[in-house]
Parts: sequence; structure tokens; C-alpha cells
Amino acid sequence: MTDTPVLVGLAEIQALNGAAMLTCLGLGSCVSVCALDPVANVSGMAHIMLPQSNPRSNSNKPGTFADTGVQELVNSMEALGADRSRLVCAVAGGASTCTHIGMDFGKRTADAVVQKLKALGVKCAAADLGGTVGRSVTMSTDSGNVTVNTINMGESVLCSLREAA
Amino acid sequence: MVTTSLTIEDIVKKTPDLPTIPAAALAVMREADSSVSTAHSVAAQIAQDQALTARVLRLSNSAYYGLSRQVVDLQEAVVVLGMRCVRNLAVVAATYPWMSKPLKGYMLAPKQMWTHSFGVAVAAQLVAKKTGSAPDETSFIAGLLHNIGKVALSIWLENKLPMMMNMAIKEGIPFDELERKVLGFDHADVGAFLGEQWNLPKIFIEAIHYHHRPDECIPPNSVVDCVHVGDYLTMAMGFGLGGDGLRYDVSENALARIGLSETDVDELTEDFVKEYQKYESLFEEMSRD
Repeated sequence: MTDTPVLVGLAEIQALNGAAMLTCLGLGSCVSVCALDPVANVSGMAHIMLPQSNPRSNSNKPGTFADTGVQELVNSMEALGADRSRLVCAVAGGASTCTHIGMDFGKRTADAVVQKLKALGVKCAAADLGGTVGRSVTMSTDSGNVTVNTINMGESVLCSLREAA
Repeated sequence: MVTTSLTIEDIVKKTPDLPTIPAAALAVMREADSSVSTAHSVAAQIAQDQALTARVLRLSNSAYYGLSRQVVDLQEAVVVLGMRCVRNLAVVAATYPWMSKPLKGYMLAPKQMWTHSFGVAVAAQLVAKKTGSAPDETSFIAGLLHNIGKVALSIWLENKLPMMMNMAIKEGIPFDELERKVLGFDHADVGAFLGEQWNLPKIFIEAIHYHHRPDECIPPNSVVDCVHVGDYLTMAMGFGLGGDGLRYDVSENALARIGLSETDVDELTEDFVKEYQKYESLFEEMSRD
């Protein structure tokens, strides 16, 4: 495994076989979904922008939306040999501006991600959602650690997906 | 609880390397905005600045425009790009050198201030275009310049930001409100003062001054509202977030004034990210020396 993490940009999804390091940089209201099948050693990460797909959208990236993005992440990992029943994940992001209004798509996206994971029966081991700070999220498949980095508070380990499996 | 005797004038007087906008960029901006401007008159203003001339020619010959012939004449380049694009390029290139520097006071790494400002420019322009509430090119420039006050104020906040952010969270107030509480003014006040020093048109000074408090702009200014919403979209997408994060209010009145609903915002955000990704690297490449 190289030390250079694979960057998962806005609305992107990455699924990999074997040892890897995946990262989402500078999450505002977007949500990073980190998932691992520790037996098949398949990992994946999605950088979800918005809550719900709609027929008017002309996006060709399923990772844009929580409903299509989480589904595509699971499908991509299954295509690499992962088993949905063994998947364990962590989610982080979904920050909002400090007033609570209908336009709060940080919260709407976070809720939609959690709901979709539940609907697919994927275990969510840890969540760091909401607040008003930007986050960067990194997952190492070796250790299974998901770390969250904020500008003010520095780096902290959110969970170990291997231990939580 | 103002804890400093500093005034905005002190900040502007004592800050080393205070940003400026070259006269040529301002002249191009004014000429392009004039109702009697022509490609010839705009080209004449550009020609006053050698670096800007080279940038305009480089952009018109870039792969993005995909022309089969080479453009060597400045006036033709203005026609190819359009006067508004040339104006945007002039201001982006003029501000890039200082916007791409790190701002330690706001915990912004190199280029992050530019990333955010360019994001707000693109978002404000898109909001203006989609709602038809404001001139879209004016909204672009206003968005680009909205945070110039941070460039001046940054040095005075160095090492204080984590403490201030904790205070803002503890007291449950937006970061600009905390700046006013601690300093007696905020980065938008400093930016507006700076804009006056540069003799920027009033519409830009208002956008800079009221971008966090659009309801206080009387009478309301739709460019201010577009920049306010553009700032919100840019923060939400995480473009150039600093230590102050997303700790700012969103005005529902501003959203209502320009006629945006929840569904519109989701769609706008999707379009915004596409537009941003389309133009960001092109403009950055053209702005570098």
C-alpha cells in the first residue's frame, strides 16, 4: 500500500481490493461514507453532495445523491467480491450553517445517507455528522481506522471498522 | 465586549502587504461596463497592461475555445472571448496573486482563499442567472471580491481563531457576529472600507459589506442577495473552508427576495459544482504568471 491516499472528489465513488488509503478532503455539508468488508478486504468511499436524486437532474455521477450514491458504493464493492452482510461503515460530514432553515442540506444529506444505509442493511459503526466545521476524512483498510481531521481540532480516530465488524 | 482599541483605519494603515487591484484591471472593468464600450475601446484599456494583454491572448488561443486559427490581435481576442469574460479575467488575474496566499488568521492554506472566492463568484453568477434577479456578471465580480476584508484582517487574528471559534460555538453566534463583539467590526466592514479606498463602484462595496447580513442593506440589493446565497453554496460544498467553517447565518429573506425554494437550491448546487469544475482550472491557469 502506498502512503498516498486515493482522493475521492465531489460526487465520486471509489471501491478497491486490498490494502488502500482513501480520503475525502474539505467536506462542508457533503457526507463521506467509508465502508469495509474485512473478510474480502474490499473497501470503498463515497463523497455524497446532496440528499435525493430527482428526474430533472442531468448528473451522470450517482455519487451526487445519497440514494443513488450509497447504492452504487455497495454495488461497486459487491462487484469486487464484498458481501453486503459483512459490510461495516462510518459516516462523517453534513455540516450546516448555524441557523436551521429548510435549506439545510447538510442535515438532509446526512439523514438521507443514514436512511439509505439502513434500507440496504449495512451496519453503521460510527458517525460524526452535523456541526459547523469543515472536515477531511481518511480511511486506512490496513487498520480499518477512519480518521476525521478538522482545521480547529486536528485529527481524531472516529472508529476502527475492523474492530466494529 | 470589544477587546481591542484597533479601528478599521488602523487595520488598513498598519497591515503589511495590503491587497490592491492594479489600475489597468479597474480600467478594463469600468470600460467593459460602460454602455458605449466597444471591443476596440476595451482592447485599448487591456493594452495598457502587458501581462493582462498576454493573458487575454493566451485564453483566446486556449484549447477551451478550440479555434482553428491563432488569435494575435487583441481586439479580435476581445471579440472571441466576449467583453464580460475579458472583464472577469482581468479582475481574477489582478486578485489571484494575493488571494492565492495563505491566510493564517483564518487558517486558510495557500490557494484556499482563492478557491472560496472564485467559488462564490461562479455561484453568485449562477444564482443571478437562474433567478433573473441581478446582473450575472456583476454578481461574479462581487462574489470574487466579497471576502477582501479577510486578507487585511487575517494577520490580526493569527493564533486567535481556535479560541474565537470555540467562543462562537459556546455562545451560539455566527463568526462575523463574534468578530464584531471582539473587534468592534467584522471582515465585511474592513472589506467595504478597503473597497472605498479602491474607488470600487457602490454595488460592489455593498456586496462586500452586507454579504453576511443582506437584510441590513437598505434598500435591498439583489447582487448582495446573490453573493450571500453564493457564499452559502460555496461553504456547503467545502470550497476553501477555513477555521471559521460554516459558522455563518443564512437569510431566509434574501432567499425569498430572489425567489429560491428548497428544490431550486439542490438543483443550483448541482449546476454550481459543474460550472465551478469547468472554469476553475482554466481561470487559475490564465491567472498564474
